[in-house]
Amino acid sequence: MSTVAVAHEFHAEQPRGIWRWITTTNHKDIGTLYLCFSLLMFFVGGAFAMLIRAELWTPGMQLMDPEFFNEMTAFHGLVMIFGAIMPAFVGLANWMIPMMIGAPDMALPRMNNWSFWILPFAFILLLSTLFMPGGAAGAGWTMYPPLFLQTGMALPFQIFAIHLMGISSVMGGINIIATVLNLRAPGMSLMKMPMFVWAWLITAYLLIAVMPVLAGAVTMMLMDKYFGTSFFNAAGGGDPVLYQHVFWFFGHPEVYIMILPAFGIISEIIPTFARKPLFGYTSMVFAIASIAFLSFIVWAHHMFTVGMPLAADLFFMFTTMLIAVPTGVKVFNWTATMWRGALTFETPMLFAIAFVFLFTIGGFSGVMMALVPADWQYHQTYFIVAHFHYVLVTGAAFAIMGAVYYWLPKWTGHMYNETLAKWHFWLSAISANVLYFPMHFLGLAGMPRRIPDYPLQFTDLNQVVSVGAFVFGAAQLLFVACIILCVRGGKKAEARAWEGARGLEWTLPSPAPYHSFGEPPAPNLIWTHPYQDG
Amino acid sequence: MFLKNSKHVLRAALAVTLAALSGSAWAVDLNMPVGVTPISHDVYHLHMYAFWMCVGIGVVVFSLMIFAMIFHRKAAGHQAAHFHENTLLEVVWTIIPFIILIALAIPAAKVLVKMTNTSDPDLTIKIEGYQWKWQYDYLQQGFSYFSMLAADSDAARMLDSKISPFSVPHYLRDVDHPMVVPTGKKIRLLITANDVIHSWYVPDFAFKVDAIPGFVNQGWIKIDEPGTYRGGCTELCGRGHGFMPIVVVAESPADYQKWLAAMKASNGVYINPQTLQPENTGSPVEYAPAQLNFNTPSVAPVSAAGAAPAAPAATAATPAASPAAAAPKPAAAAQAWTMASAMARGKQVFDNNCASCHMPDGKGNSAMGVPAIAGGPVPNGPLHEHIELVLHGKGIMPAWGNILSDSDLAAVITFERNAFGNHGGGLVSPADIAKAKTAH
Repeated sequence: MSTVAVAHEFHAEQPRGIWRWITTTNHKDIGTLYLCFSLLMFFVGGAFAMLIRAELWTPGMQLMDPEFFNEMTAFHGLVMIFGAIMPAFVGLANWMIPMMIGAPDMALPRMNNWSFWILPFAFILLLSTLFMPGGAAGAGWTMYPPLFLQTGMALPFQIFAIHLMGISSVMGGINIIATVLNLRAPGMSLMKMPMFVWAWLITAYLLIAVMPVLAGAVTMMLMDKYFGTSFFNAAGGGDPVLYQHVFWFFGHPEVYIMILPAFGIISEIIPTFARKPLFGYTSMVFAIASIAFLSFIVWAHHMFTVGMPLAADLFFMFTTMLIAVPTGVKVFNWTATMWRGALTFETPMLFAIAFVFLFTIGGFSGVMMALVPADWQYHQTYFIVAHFHYVLVTGAAFAIMGAVYYWLPKWTGHMYNETLAKWHFWLSAISANVLYFPMHFLGLAGMPRRIPDYPLQFTDLNQVVSVGAFVFGAAQLLFVACIILCVRGGKKAEARAWEGARGLEWTLPSPAPYHSFGEPPAPNLIWTHPYQDG
Repeated sequence: MFLKNSKHVLRAALAVTLAALSGSAWAVDLNMPVGVTPISHDVYHLHMYAFWMCVGIGVVVFSLMIFAMIFHRKAAGHQAAHFHENTLLEVVWTIIPFIILIALAIPAAKVLVKMTNTSDPDLTIKIEGYQWKWQYDYLQQGFSYFSMLAADSDAARMLDSKISPFSVPHYLRDVDHPMVVPTGKKIRLLITANDVIHSWYVPDFAFKVDAIPGFVNQGWIKIDEPGTYRGGCTELCGRGHGFMPIVVVAESPADYQKWLAAMKASNGVYINPQTLQPENTGSPVEYAPAQLNFNTPSVAPVSAAGAAPAAPAATAATPAASPAAAAPKPAAAAQAWTMASAMARGKQVFDNNCASCHMPDGKGNSAMGVPAIAGGPVPNGPLHEHIELVLHGKGIMPAWGNILSDSDLAAVITFERNAFGNHGGGLVSPADIAKAKTAH
């Protein structure tokens, strides 16, 4: 371990101020950068959502041109997915994976720095298109041609921004795989890894597999626009639906990229506050692996109305329904973990329980939409909007918030303000349901998504939704307050900040030292079973 | 019926909960419509079947969790157990969901097979999506027409229109020319698009099929009862995506036949299916060349207008070329081609087709990169360039040459060159348009 010690001394002479953050190769610094960036983007994407809900407050156009509305729906999606959710998970991986597997740092620290610092430039490029003549691309986050090809000079900027985000994600994924496979402490076999590490290992493979596919799809679009090809132009022998196939071959695994790490987080939090080992560790690992595998053969369930042959409809319907089996196993395992535990309800646990309830509701609507005939009614209405916000906001985002509260004491050395955090939780959980639940009814009543104005019979429900949205948006200011207060001070956190917490990260002092495990942890600290009482 | 009763109970419960939240009366139905086609009934029952299965599973899982949260609290003095696996239990809760899924998949597959069976239709209608309107082409009858947002909704939906949407009947749900179909017949719908992807959705038919440029999709409907059914485009198609509703009027076969006869005899004017009176709004009905009338061995040309409907559409709708055929056309076209009549008709055409991008005041839309007509270089520049641009389009500007009739093209170009303070000047005649088309 002498090399590590040498590295330690070298890093002790690191630059101060802004240069520390620009040149850092430390996994904790980079994790912090990712998390702060994603919080900023969460508010940018949230501001777009507030504009959308304000325009939809009442029928008629009051605030903006319909084209600007389309830009808002597209950018809300792009910023939340690529700017908020994904970087937050990568930030959590950076902070926690080395500490959880007993490593000093990530395996590829310089690439780690680069993969973060690409992101701010990618998003400056993306957001700058909003100010370009002709406006940004108002073709949804899915960017379907031929509509997307009608975009003016913003088009190449958006495509290059997406290329950059893809490069960043692939590098992040490579780094996580290299770290997990090479830097585990002696004694930590794969089947002893914490669930969060398992979930991220599988997610990283998904990232590497599909981000290049998205890059290919948007590059073909760039060729169609500027170099006279006809990949997606029927008049030139191409096919607009080809884009959808390629996009969703990326897009469906992408959905799981945004939920598998959340599964890992929930599998960390629930055992801690149930004071009981995770139920069915092995089946949890296999469930994540099967979900990842299935994600590659279900993509066309996003396209049941494009006119596929009957056999294709049947295939994608059946494979999609299969996803419910491993997902169900996970929900049952979390329930069994809580069963006969000694439960306490600190904020991370509240977010985790809300996750299990509300993600399951999103799962139910997912199974319903797998049924092709019924999907002809649900597709492209507010029903699907309700579905994916249940899995991504009350699913992924709630898991991220739970993770932040769970590990804040480890990061800062202080306990957060529990009262304020509970206010944040209850306001978020209630307003999210006021916001998203009525969307099911709007969709069933036939309100299409992505419309800037609507017929009169949808007015009442839209106002309920908008009220929920404004409260949810405001509640997130409490989240920022909790984080800032916790960084600045608060009750001193112990090394094991939570009574029931297991795992190597809790053997380090709080706040965790700048370099995690200069010496590998003693083998007796690694549980014979990750969550078994020692 | 268990399903039916529980449906009402559930709906009442939901309505009460939601009404309590906002304190207002609910005009909107909270569930999927049962609809008026055999498929929509099947889809509704499938939806409720899946819904109740989800409710059942949810009740079991959530009850267990809530039970644990109440009775297995540390605060209640509960000691944590230490179990962390049970192979039998894990096998059971893998197999049970699998069986439930099979029970869902079988009825779903049955309905899917039924809804994709478009064989042996009684009637075929081609639907083509445009930015931002629909074209209904009655292939066997040899006529087609455009259907776009009704003028009152269109005026009210403009930013700062000062017109309350609440004062407009059927705000955003009405069109100038509804699609008309007979009840009790199997109707095959062929669906495609001209520019970008659209999607033709009518909830009461449980019908939603994407309209994709260059490809023709199909589906079928068979409507049980006469009525007016409304829907809209459900695939994001640009700025006017929210403003291209669908209205389908279903009539008894006898009434439908009367409407068909009136349409064939109308020489370009849309016939209101309810009153059977001509409607002088929107774009004209166009007649297909006879050779497109497949399936029906002999579609007799409409006698009243002589050979006009059988001739190419462009000629038929050109007053200058065949003044006699144009007699029942909108007032502007029926009269001699004068500046006044061309300007009046031109304004109508502009409002219906151009104003959604170029704005009713002709100032354009900088957010979309749409240039202004008012004071713009094209309407104030050489006439032939103006005609070329309108005929063949450029960028997001559609090629209007095959969409509007020659007389409407002449009228709208005349209008653009003389309205909004423009000084391009001149009266463009339909013959000029025909000449430009052949010259190209």
